[in-house]
Amino acid sequence: MATFFNTILVGISSGSIYALMSLSLVLVWRSTRVVNFAAAGQAVLSTYLGYEAMSRLHNYWLSLPIAVIAGALISALVESCVMRPLAKRSKGTAVESIAPVIATLGILGLIRGVVGLIWGNTFLQYTSPLSSKGFTIGHTTIPFSPLNAAIVIGAAIVLAIFAAIFRFTRLGLALRAASFQPEISRLSGIRVDRIRTIGWAFAGAAGALAGALVTPTAYLSPNSLDLLLVSGFVAAVIGGLESLIGAVVGGLVLGVGFAFILQYIGTQVTFSAAFIILIIVLFIRPQGIFGRGGSREA
Amino acid sequence: MKRKSPAARFLISLGIGAILLFASGHVDELRAYQGAQVAIYAIAIASIVLLTGFSGQISLGHGALLAVGGYAAVIAQIHWHLPYPLTFLIGGIAGALAGYVLGIAAARLRGPYLAGTTLALAVGLPSLANQFHILGGEQGLPFDVGTAPTWIGKDFTQYRWFFWVAVTAALAIFWLLRNLLSTRYGRRWRAVRANPTAAALAGIDIAKAKVLAFTLSSAVAGLSGALFAMLLGLVAPLAFTLTLSFTLVTGAVLAGVSNLGGSIVGALVLVAIPELSNVVATHLGGSDRVTANLPGVVTSVLLIVTVLLAPNGPRIPRRHK
Amino acid sequence: MFVSRRNKGGIIAAAAIAAAALVTSALPAHAETGVTSSTIKLGITVPLTGAAAPGYNKVPYAMKAYFDYVNANGGVNGRKIQLVIKDDGYSPATTLSVTNDLILKDKVFALVGTLGTANNEATTRLVNSHKVPRLFVNTGFSAFADMKKYPTTFPLFPSYATEAKVMGKYLADNFAGKKVALIYQDDDFGADALKGFATAGTTFVAKIPYSSLSQADPSVVGKWVTTLATAQADAVIMFGVTSATGALAGGLYKAGLIGKVQMILGSVGSDGTTLKGLLGPLAPALAGSIAASFLPSPSDATDEYVNLFKSVNTQYNAGATFDNNVLVGMNTAMMTVQALRAAGTNPTRASLIKAIEAKGSTFASAAFSSISYSAKSHVGYSGYWFGKLGTDGNAVSVDGAGKYTLYSTDSGTAPVVKSAPARTAMPAKGLPTN
Repeated sequence: MATFFNTILVGISSGSIYALMSLSLVLVWRSTRVVNFAAAGQAVLSTYLGYEAMSRLHNYWLSLPIAVIAGALISALVESCVMRPLAKRSKGTAVESIAPVIATLGILGLIRGVVGLIWGNTFLQYTSPLSSKGFTIGHTTIPFSPLNAAIVIGAAIVLAIFAAIFRFTRLGLALRAASFQPEISRLSGIRVDRIRTIGWAFAGAAGALAGALVTPTAYLSPNSLDLLLVSGFVAAVIGGLESLIGAVVGGLVLGVGFAFILQYIGTQVTFSAAFIILIIVLFIRPQGIFGRGGSREA
Repeated sequence: MKRKSPAARFLISLGIGAILLFASGHVDELRAYQGAQVAIYAIAIASIVLLTGFSGQISLGHGALLAVGGYAAVIAQIHWHLPYPLTFLIGGIAGALAGYVLGIAAARLRGPYLAGTTLALAVGLPSLANQFHILGGEQGLPFDVGTAPTWIGKDFTQYRWFFWVAVTAALAIFWLLRNLLSTRYGRRWRAVRANPTAAALAGIDIAKAKVLAFTLSSAVAGLSGALFAMLLGLVAPLAFTLTLSFTLVTGAVLAGVSNLGGSIVGALVLVAIPELSNVVATHLGGSDRVTANLPGVVTSVLLIVTVLLAPNGPRIPRRHK
Repeated sequence: MFVSRRNKGGIIAAAAIAAAALVTSALPAHAETGVTSSTIKLGITVPLTGAAAPGYNKVPYAMKAYFDYVNANGGVNGRKIQLVIKDDGYSPATTLSVTNDLILKDKVFALVGTLGTANNEATTRLVNSHKVPRLFVNTGFSAFADMKKYPTTFPLFPSYATEAKVMGKYLADNFAGKKVALIYQDDDFGADALKGFATAGTTFVAKIPYSSLSQADPSVVGKWVTTLATAQADAVIMFGVTSATGALAGGLYKAGLIGKVQMILGSVGSDGTTLKGLLGPLAPALAGSIAASFLPSPSDATDEYVNLFKSVNTQYNAGATFDNNVLVGMNTAMMTVQALRAAGTNPTRASLIKAIEAKGSTFASAAFSSISYSAKSHVGYSGYWFGKLGTDGNAVSVDGAGKYTLYSTDSGTAPVVKSAPARTAMPAKGLPTN
């Protein structure tokens, strides 16, 4: 029984990590219909900047907002310098749907290279004052630490903030309109380009928060968020891509499912596990758990 | 599209082949290797063009299908002792079978969902090789197509031979695909890609057309996987990484996605870019850290710039919503 | 058409090659590829970028530093050693591409220290067909000692099977009756180890395989720790890479199991500096872990090789932190210099291989183990010593600083023998005179 509960806790810890990255991917998808593979790179870069801030300020809580703001700026820069011109040029061509994917892969490689140039291909430590030692209940230490709690809270805050923005603000309405009906939005006076850049900036901020919260549980290197990118994307697909709640639920489904597969089937299937979970979910609901079926094509 | 008869296309292929194979005797071994690389990439890219350009489906996991073809060819050689041309065929058939199963699942999924599924497949499938003894684990299984037969000539280097095999396979595949795309199947796929609703109204079974396209694409990918294994001399999980899948999609985008001939251009660019970035990196020089990371930076910049400047896919009729 | 198009992309490259060819042909003609009257060109493939790079990317530069030191002191028979370093990102397909460059374009005399099992496997056909010597490959996969399949290849490190057998013996001596678990990388690396443990007759309360690089996922580490706790293991063997050791230490810390579960680390996963970088403030959690090594501890101030390599590192390696990776690189380079010297004043690829087979067992090297090279064997080292990690991450011998007990055996069924270290004394100033 202890193993069962521990497995759930392990699943929630990692699921909340996937959820944070998944939120970032969903935010980009919602604003521009692009799967942003550069998200892992952007988050790594902003975390390195957080690391620099920390090594000067010696305070994690001060470095955190710096990383988040940096993440937003990097993301806005990527959107306005590469993605926007590309979207304009490839519009209506056969490569419209996949050229942006390739561009984000290029940006991922570029950021990794630049990070390696500046900080070297070594392991660095970006530490949080929160302990990574599990909480103790009675005499047992559970596999859930204050650091994990911070990640869960972080995911909840991101979810709450963006859900509120989308639901209650004019900006949120504009964001939704610009992605669903860009032409009509433009006609009704919404500056679609600027709105899209804002959407990317939000996503960059969420990704940066993911990087800055997750890195203290492991280490920092140019490739340290690679696996998270795949898990985050799979979580987003499971959740239905459109929905913020879906992103979080997708992350948790993937995390808990993954933990149970590892515990009760075996670690041999580690890399196939995401595929197995994804196939099961999509078999039941081809548009993901929270996705809306069939109304629009990607 | 210009209309040529299959026979005319065959003669053209034969002519190109003769020129290329003659040329292979006049370049050094390294160029012969790169030439073989281009031919194999071109086939693999064509498999994606077939899928994305002609039926509108996206796969980020074609590396996994290359792995299926590669492993099948190697197993056919080791356990069934088949001659290598037949092992290539087995690679293609294995790819087709895998693609058929995947295609049935894929027909239910729309763009990003399919992309996510194929991505997860590319991550998961190659690592399975460690679980089955017959697949040889991490160091993989050797694949040896041998050296050139003696009647071709003496001093025929290994890489020149690979070049011949790869170019012959590429020409055969391109000839077949060109002919196939001018049949009713090709027209159906184009119709499905351009306007699924209209295609359905015209009586085309969209799901069936998509599954068929996925199967065919996977067959071509499987064959290129077998050729890839020939060039490497082995199959191993590390040889079919996510990076390979991404590289192939990149090649397809550079090819303009909807043009088979473009595959060759895409393949050329893929092989040229790392070499170009190495030259640039060596030229600029610098500390250890710089020399290690500069090629990656230059490659990425070239990639972004190429995609930005040349989304050269022809305009397709816009769908009216 | 094909050729001219291809060259459009590589005009500069072609020009560079042409220029290089002109320069080379202007020099006095020499019989062997990669050797001129004043230089010997060697090549190495190693991951400099990507997930596998940290740690390993220090090895080639340490080699280069030692070669520079030798070059500054007259080189090898008047020839300066050049090392061409190629990044393969740990992908065998890339390894083959860049090895093509090394052999066909850069025209290196020999490959040295090439890293990775599948990576070396992928270049074997090329290496064999051009009869290029491939010296001191950086992998412990036992099959590379097969002289029929790899006639020009010389593994140096003791095999993973050897390491597992030796560990089995150490466990039998020191952990009898304790519950020991095993975590291993689920590929040939781990399979080789399982073979060794089976020969040693070691039994485990739990065997946990993990896929290479999956240690970066928190669920995977969670599963390790849950399994260790359920099995109530007293000790756990980590037969994986350094980042897996780091992940395990983090996981044990999280579960409050530090000090309750003894960590026993293989030689691949116990580099102190890398671990410190990985774990940061958690690094002290590693103190007390037992580690198997074949080279001396990088912190052993009494060891003549360590001291020399340290001074070479300071002078020629731009301030790189001295650690096990640097030690491995310098040691490989020192072996290489002796091999080149032994190959004669006009070395050829064939004479290099002959020379190592004839004299390799007498080469000076930092490892405590003897070297078994001969005309019938390409097996290098065969022994380990055990140390305890200090708070600085470096191992100190369990017998006390500077005192080493060597456990030796083979990859097969030979028994494990304990002995005093047997190694050749270092030549004066670390400059081979053989």
